[in-house]
Amino acid sequence: MRPFNHLNAASLEEASAALREPGAVAMAGGGDLLGALKDDIAREYPRLVVNLKTIPGLDGIEIRDGKLCLGALCLLGDLSRNETVRAVAPMVADAAAKCASPALRENTTLGGNLCQLPRCWYFRKLLNRFDCARKGGERCFAMTGDNRYHSVFGPAVFEGCDGKKHACIAVNQAELAPGLLALEAEVVTSARTLPIGEFFGVGLMSATVLEPGELVTEVRIPLPPAGTRMAYKRFSFRKSIDFPVVNVAVAILPGNEYRIALGGVAPIPRRAAAAEALLAGKELTPELAAKAGEAAVEGAKPTEANAYKLQLVKTLVKRELLAL
Amino acid sequence: MEAKKAGISLQDACAQAGARIAAMPAKQKIVTCPLCAEQFLSYEELTAHYLAEHPGCVAPVKLRMTVNGRDCSLVVEPHLTLKEVLQLHLGLTGAKQMCDRGQCGSCTVILNGRPTLSCNTLAADCDGKTVETVEGIAVNPKWQPLIDAYCRWDAMQCGYCTPGFLVAAKALLDRNPRPTEQDIKEALSGNICICGTYPRHSQAILEAVTYMVKGGAPNA
Repeated sequence: MRPFNHLNAASLEEASAALREPGAVAMAGGGDLLGALKDDIAREYPRLVVNLKTIPGLDGIEIRDGKLCLGALCLLGDLSRNETVRAVAPMVADAAAKCASPALRENTTLGGNLCQLPRCWYFRKLLNRFDCARKGGERCFAMTGDNRYHSVFGPAVFEGCDGKKHACIAVNQAELAPGLLALEAEVVTSARTLPIGEFFGVGLMSATVLEPGELVTEVRIPLPPAGTRMAYKRFSFRKSIDFPVVNVAVAILPGNEYRIALGGVAPIPRRAAAAEALLAGKELTPELAAKAGEAAVEGAKPTEANAYKLQLVKTLVKRELLAL
Repeated sequence: MEAKKAGISLQDACAQAGARIAAMPAKQKIVTCPLCAEQFLSYEELTAHYLAEHPGCVAPVKLRMTVNGRDCSLVVEPHLTLKEVLQLHLGLTGAKQMCDRGQCGSCTVILNGRPTLSCNTLAADCDGKTVETVEGIAVNPKWQPLIDAYCRWDAMQCGYCTPGFLVAAKALLDRNPRPTEQDIKEALSGNICICGTYPRHSQAILEAVTYMVKGGAPNA
């Protein structure tokens, strides 16, 4: 890595103020950022790295006002073992337990997992060899290049630094996103509270809608009603130290309300609204589960290389529904 | 004795680890400028030198860590990883560099009781923390059964990834003194061995556990 300044932030205010300056980046566990710095993927190298882990009081796990409140600095390993999380939202604990590798889980955080940048190999190519739209360039190289791991729901369009519209088909592979999306969690930042469905975004060097200097402080999961069943499943090529190609979270609430969330298929994690509508109020049968799988990929526009993901989604949705 | 049969002088290796820990500079008497190699007697002189000679450059930061039970005061550049500081500043070469991207586990150390990839941790983040490396495990008699079992089961070929596996195993046994084979596989799932010694690791750890629980070493 090349030299940068380092700040151990003592408070949220100090971190926010430092991060509003140009050339400052936030770091918690460093699982995402340090690799990016070593490969020097960005147009500009940061001048300051702000260590958020020294901010006190952001790593709590507690039930407050009918919500399970998870601090942004909760370590994924702690989340996966925590009794409260296991009891209230087992699929969030399962997702945390499958993320990365044991040693990384002991040091990477919930907030970092949600804010991680895409793993697109053009975006991540060392020394910024592909100056893509996500970094302020003109085009998305994955659209015409090798896009086997990219979006099956088309590109995300966003405004680049030149004011023009740009597209990107990199997917969001945050391990915890589908589970939190299916449980309709909300994300508390240093400035506002957002439903998690509005939290993810596509922007320049960003996978969230956070403004400069805005930090995630807490994720709140409304306590699911008694009798809710839920499951999380990922498909990855390796069992460990791998990002999910597709990950699926399914929850069945009492009264046959279904919630299905998909990650790894679109630029932002998405709810399978068509599948949920199809299932709503009905008792589950194997035929219905298969139909829900079909509905989950309704409207998909796979590229020539990634239609296999549709089969993965269909099968994972069907299996998880039937397993509950 | 068993270990010697396998062609490894284990006592020598452990003595070497002890010597490395003893040789760690507890406090740097001389602080060297990383840019021009000029030497100073204090951190304050170095920062003054930076202001005068290298304006606009990132000055090193002061750092205190407890490494293998010894307190260390260090002056390091903020962009150095914990692995680089252990190797370059403290001479502890047990944590190995392989992928340098947090994907292989060869550089695993124990930071404040948690297994940690030292290549994916900034040293500047570790101020005031406790680090335990494979050298610290090698000199601790409590973990001798684990090292013996690794040698007896030959749970290595080229040996480059072994320190990472051993530290991950120790971190597991700290948390769970009686792991099942599944627990072991899960705990070591972040370590990669290109020689493919994986089955031997769980065998070695399971055997070490039986000896450690019984409280006797097989060689005794």
